[in-house]
Amino acid sequence: MTKKTIRTIPQERTTIPEQPVAERIHNFCEVALGYRPEDARREAERCLLCPEPACVLACPVAIDIPGFIEQICLGKDRAAYDIVADANLLPAICGRVCPQEDQCELVCPVGDTLEPVAIGRLERWVGDRALAEGWDTGAAVERSGLKVAIVGSGPASLACAADMAKAGCEVIVYEALHEPGGVLRYGIPEFRLPNHVIDAEIANLTKLGVTVECNTLVGRLFTIEQLVDEMGFSAVFVGTGAGSPRFMGIPGESLHGVLSANELLTRCNLMGALEFPAYDTPIDIGTRVAVIGSGNTAMDALRVSLRAGAEQVACVYRRSREESPARLEELIHAEEEGVEFHWLTAPVEILGDDDGAVRAMRCIRMELGEPDESGRRRPIPIEGSEYDFETETVVYAIGTRANPVIGQTSKIALDERGYIRVDEHLATSMAGVYAGGDIVTGAATVILAMGAGRRAAAAMKAYLGIRDTAVVYDERTSADRRWFGIDAGERNFTRLRLPADDAVGVGGT
Amino acid sequence: MSDTKYLFRRNRTWWVKVAVPAALRDELGYDLRRSLRTSDLDEARQAREPVVAEFRRTIADAERRRRRMCHEPLDSGSGFVVTAREDFSDVTFLLEVHHPQLARAAQPGQFVLVLAHERGERIPLTIADFDRDAGTFTMVIQAVGKTTREMQLRCQVGSTLHAVVGPMGCPSDIAGAAKVVCVGGGLGIASIYPQLRAFQERGAFVIGIVGFRTEELIFWEDKFRRHCDELIICTDDGSVGIKGMVTDGIEVALARHPDVDELVAIGPPVMMRACAEATRPHGIRTTVSLNPIMVDGTGMCGGCRVTVGDEMKFTCVDGPEFDAHQVDFADLMSRQRRFRDKEQFAAERWARSLETDTADAPGGGRR
Ligand SMILES: Cc1cc2nc3c(=O)[nH]c(=O)nc-3n(C[C@H](O)[C@H](O)[C@H](O)COP(=O)(O)OP(=O)(O)OC[C@H]3O[C@@H](n4cnc5c(N)ncnc54)[C@H](O)[C@@H]3O)c2cc1C
Ligand SMILES: Cc1cc2nc3c(=O)[nH]c(=O)nc-3n(C[C@H](O)[C@H](O)[C@H](O)COP(=O)(O)OP(=O)(O)OC[C@H]3O[C@@H](n4cnc5c(N)ncnc54)[C@H](O)[C@@H]3O)c2cc1C
Ligand code: SF4
Ligand code: FES
Repeated sequence: MTKKTIRTIPQERTTIPEQPVAERIHNFCEVALGYRPEDARREAERCLLCPEPACVLACPVAIDIPGFIEQICLGKDRAAYDIVADANLLPAICGRVCPQEDQCELVCPVGDTLEPVAIGRLERWVGDRALAEGWDTGAAVERSGLKVAIVGSGPASLACAADMAKAGCEVIVYEALHEPGGVLRYGIPEFRLPNHVIDAEIANLTKLGVTVECNTLVGRLFTIEQLVDEMGFSAVFVGTGAGSPRFMGIPGESLHGVLSANELLTRCNLMGALEFPAYDTPIDIGTRVAVIGSGNTAMDALRVSLRAGAEQVACVYRRSREESPARLEELIHAEEEGVEFHWLTAPVEILGDDDGAVRAMRCIRMELGEPDESGRRRPIPIEGSEYDFETETVVYAIGTRANPVIGQTSKIALDERGYIRVDEHLATSMAGVYAGGDIVTGAATVILAMGAGRRAAAAMKAYLGIRDTAVVYDERTSADRRWFGIDAGERNFTRLRLPADDAVGVGGT
Repeated sequence: MSDTKYLFRRNRTWWVKVAVPAALRDELGYDLRRSLRTSDLDEARQAREPVVAEFRRTIADAERRRRRMCHEPLDSGSGFVVTAREDFSDVTFLLEVHHPQLARAAQPGQFVLVLAHERGERIPLTIADFDRDAGTFTMVIQAVGKTTREMQLRCQVGSTLHAVVGPMGCPSDIAGAAKVVCVGGGLGIASIYPQLRAFQERGAFVIGIVGFRTEELIFWEDKFRRHCDELIICTDDGSVGIKGMVTDGIEVALARHPDVDELVAIGPPVMMRACAEATRPHGIRTTVSLNPIMVDGTGMCGGCRVTVGDEMKFTCVDGPEFDAHQVDFADLMSRQRRFRDKEQFAAERWARSLETDTADAPGGGRR
């Protein structure tokens, strides 16, 4: 293949077809429709196949990006999938929800002169191809006889479960809710991440031999200590997330019509409240909705409210658009769909009527002062600028805290904010118990959670004495998918140490 | 008069239209209609019969499905099997569910979340009893709205519930008290039982107070007697025990036992507030188990938040028990009404769908 240069590649980034605004605000179908095969090939041609790819280093799970893009160019989609799935078992999910513009696409040199390669869209395309074709990574590995418990079923847990299953362990995932997926299921709405995609990716996990047990609140039904001491698990991974919503403590927060984004999204996404009365769970958002905050969660709450029939949907954020933590794509989608943005505005009180329902929200205008410790300019209230803002629903999307149940019920050490304390191998204070994802870092992203799940899995394998040739021979290049003469497809898992009871047996003979 | 029953004309073509009974409109729409592709009335009359018959069959099938759905025992194929049922009155019933792990883990004061079927709502119900040997736990439920009434109708022995998760919430603190009053009223009568038993097993002197409307509605009297040193039954009509509310019972108990050091009350918020007021002047430590609207029960939605001593608490993970003298009951009661209109609508719709009998579907193009 002749070497590609910035001048020979297609100059324009391939656009992704989207549902028209006027239609999509009335439905829950996906907004971004995905590439067609010709779109994918064209976009793949834009990759320079850098010998020292910056994108791979910027990817939290180190997907061999040029490797899989090259396969797309060659028309070998299955091979492309195998490369992606090697690092990321949930490509159809990550291709949809990862903030690629801050990761791989940010550092891609094509982006210096043109728009960077649309790595995320290509990843999604590969993931969707796999789902459509029913491909899976069903690696047949010898069972090691070791049992591993995974607490929670968010992306951190799923990634860890996949790696442990591939290493031959018997893996059981325990989830408190009645459906698996964590935030992917109850938080991120259907129009960004359809449930059938989550189902299909989780089905792939079960093909690897992972068992998912829902309706299991670990800590209350049994504790982490019991998992290790009584239930025969050799190692445990805790990925319980940071889903506990924060409120501000301003007057009026217990009025009806004040709810957290998590409650709104859970009622709609998990419980089907928008189809009430066909589904039993109600939701009542009225015609005007104000969402406080401007992160991804806020964007989802805003856009769900629009689709639920609210006529006037406003976002209230105390800083300006530049500081908004939401992904740019989500922000633009929300703007297109008619969300009103009230930048530099903070609520000070929620006003109710005689019936205990929200009538209005009192806000104050802000201006930006000196940068604070996060580097963003600190918002300062402008005295006397209060005004009332009529609304029936106020949604809080101002962040979350650690899910509390594990902290309440086990002796695992927490930090002062309630997150689980871990060392550099993601090991907790309890032997054999590892943790990762939002429960360690606080609310972050899907891919960081998955990366943590994988890192924990690597540490757990080391702890259990499972050696993985991929770790041993970690010298890999995209051009040659062989490591020291060992084919990637051949990687096997060798146990260094026998499980305790076997060892006793051996000693006896 | 010309016979145009089931017929109507659009542009110049005749159509058949059969109205759909209200209970089936979600599924089938307002009416079933089809073009007969003729502008001739006589032809249309002849073509009408088979179409009407077909539509009637469609409606009858849908009705059969709906009835089956409304009346048939719940069966989601899950492992959460109902192993016993008992009816205490026309609104109160007991379900015992097989769940050995849960039975082993359950502590007094904890609850479960139940999702009766796939389209249901997650509702919290107190663990009213548990049998670790048999691997079962018990709920006593008051049929007050759509979900609980549907469970009353459709949960039979052998039924399966779609999801049951628990035990949830912090176990009650049963250490410490030497003489304790346990009060149960309304939906809290059975809920108080595990605590009362635990207090007794811990060696405390236990005074039970339970309130019923009238004699016929009394249940579990023997169970209560077995685990109480003293049982006070209050009835609204005075048919048994003290005539009056549980607060009247509390007065009697406190008069007899000035050395009571704790009172635990479970029931409707008004009752729990009254109990809190009854003990406040005596400075007796008082605990109530709050029942706000919940969704997940894992601390993830904040829907169950309550105000306790000016602090916001999530009942499902911080509670459900709190210091009664600190609880803002007005707030709790107001928040329980959040979805009143929708709940009422759902309950009425459910009642209607049980009543409608569509054996002889109303005919004609009724608008
Ligand atoms: C509305 C919303 C939108 C988002 N959008 C994006 C986005 O576009 N892109 C992106 O990268 N990130 C996004 N995020 C962030 C991302 O979803 C999270 O960072 C990620 O899901 C964290 O994964 P996790 O595995 O750590 O935990 P979670 O996904 O939170 O999963 C934790 C799971 O553990 C379960 N659990 C908790 N306690 C217990 C227990 N005791 N026993 C059993 N199970 C338990 C919970 O029920 C839950 O299912 C969004 C977050 C939200 C809320
Ligand atoms: C910790 C706790 C323990 C409980 N224990 C019992 C019990 O042992 N026996 C019993 O009969 N009831 C109990 N309840 C109350 C029970 O959950 C409600 O009666 C039930 O949810 C009503 O549902 P519905 O659809 O039949 O009625 P609806 O018509 O929907 O509602 C009737 C009333 O129930 C309350 N309610 C509605 N939905 C919910 C929900 N998702 N969560 C909580 N409350 C709701 C509302 O305040 C409403 O006013 C308990 C509640 C809590 C929070
Ligand atoms: S940095 Fe950009 S051009 Fe280079 S390999 Fe990665 S995607 Fe391709
Ligand atoms: S029920 Fe959701 S936080 Fe308590």
